[in-house]
Amino acid sequence: MNEQISALADNEIALEDAEHLMSGLQSSGPLAEAWSQYHLIGDVMRGTQVLSPSFKQNLMAKLDLEPTVLAPNASLLKVVKTKASSVEAHGKIPATWSIAASFAGIMVVGWMVLQMQVSDSLTPVIAEVATPQTAATNVAAVQAIPAEYLMAHQASAPSASSYYIQSASYSE
Amino acid sequence: MLIFAIVSFIDSHMKFKRFGLILLLAMTALNVRAATDENAWQVLQKAAVAAHALSYEGIFVCQSGQQSKPVQIRHLFNGQFEFSRNVVLDGSPKEVLSQGADVVIYNPKNEKIVIEKRRGQNMFPAILPTDLDAIKASYVLRMGDTERVADRQAQILFLDGKDKLRYSYKFWVDIEYGLLLKSVMYNHQNEMIESIAFNQLGLINNANLDWFKPKIDSKKNYVMEDEVNAVADNHVSPHWKLKELPLGYFKVDQMIRTVRGKSLPVSHLIFSDGLASISLFIEPMENGVKPRLGRAVVGNTSFHSAVVGYLQITALGEVPEAAVAQIANSVVFIK
Repeated sequence: MNEQISALADNEIALEDAEHLMSGLQSSGPLAEAWSQYHLIGDVMRGTQVLSPSFKQNLMAKLDLEPTVLAPNASLLKVVKTKASSVEAHGKIPATWSIAASFAGIMVVGWMVLQMQVSDSLTPVIAEVATPQTAATNVAAVQAIPAEYLMAHQASAPSASSYYIQSASYSE
Repeated sequence: MLIFAIVSFIDSHMKFKRFGLILLLAMTALNVRAATDENAWQVLQKAAVAAHALSYEGIFVCQSGQQSKPVQIRHLFNGQFEFSRNVVLDGSPKEVLSQGADVVIYNPKNEKIVIEKRRGQNMFPAILPTDLDAIKASYVLRMGDTERVADRQAQILFLDGKDKLRYSYKFWVDIEYGLLLKSVMYNHQNEMIESIAFNQLGLINNANLDWFKPKIDSKKNYVMEDEVNAVADNHVSPHWKLKELPLGYFKVDQMIRTVRGKSLPVSHLIFSDGLASISLFIEPMENGVKPRLGRAVVGNTSFHSAVVGYLQITALGEVPEAAVAQIANSVVFIK
């Protein structure tokens, strides 16, 4: 069964001959899992971009971080709407409306610039940095190679043996 | 021509004849020495190319520290592209598949098989760059005897660093195929710290690619490894710069990456002398995290960490400790 699913994933079985597989995929958990795994392996072999396992969580987390901008959009919508309805009603736009629209536009841009400055000042990297005094008095002496750096090194600059052997014993 | 000119000149003055002969002998000896050196570099150059351009299969044993793993390799060059599949034969059946510079590793971990993507380099027997200029600048090469390895006749080459900033290597190169059969790395106490050697090797002349796929274990879950967050970095940092690098080492890559357990991104720079690589990590120290100072040598890997201003510096690589220390100390904090 798994072999047939693999063949179906590789387009080697005609769809008309695969009805029993389809029903199998719908009813059986393990078969559906095999189906998605064969696709993952195929994607990797073909070099197709694969979304990371935590893609959804990352996306949702980033969405949560986005500021909720209510007022400027609402006022923008209102301006556009009133502009549109006045055009429909009178056929031409009174000069005062365009002045009001420009004023609203300037307000929106100004508000956005203000927002950007605020959000910039919200991430002061330097404020999180330790002071040199703590550096001098409170130091961790290390005699083993930290695993996280060794892994990063071997991922980007692998040596011949690191593909097969974890080349150094390291602290977790 | 120059020698002949000098000798004939000296010959014409009979009383200098003996001196002329000695001079001629000395210069010939120098010439022979230069010729064998040049020969040795040609053998090494051929080995660098053969690893990519030949199609072969066999088993090699990879040894580092206390560990040793036999690996089955099949490598095909079809005139246009390179394919290779390497399977670890003992313990968990890790597989490394490469196509050109793209490497995909199928790494069994507990009940899962983790799929890791890498940029391929230094995969045995292709551990040498095809451009040997950088290596020529930092190492000296000399011919040794011939020896039998994996039932093949091999020429031995000794590659020694010109200074204490790199390890020494001994290579066995197949006299007929030109392929690297065995590579051993020695530290300055002349102790073997890494060895990779074929114990079975043959050429293949069949271009079919049926074998170029991982063996699939239907009982295991296949998952992509956690996202490796590393992006190329071309910016000049306002917080640090590099002063003099250790002789012969040059920067080959710079990126910004996340490192497990670190909340701030880390600058990751890679240096090479053509053969060995050093990673340099530069990051701002975080409040509440103890700065790390220390050094260690484990197997073939050296490690050195230091603090410069507000920066935590970490350097490590398969090189002597002096080289990682110099790289770590090359970072200057900009106030």
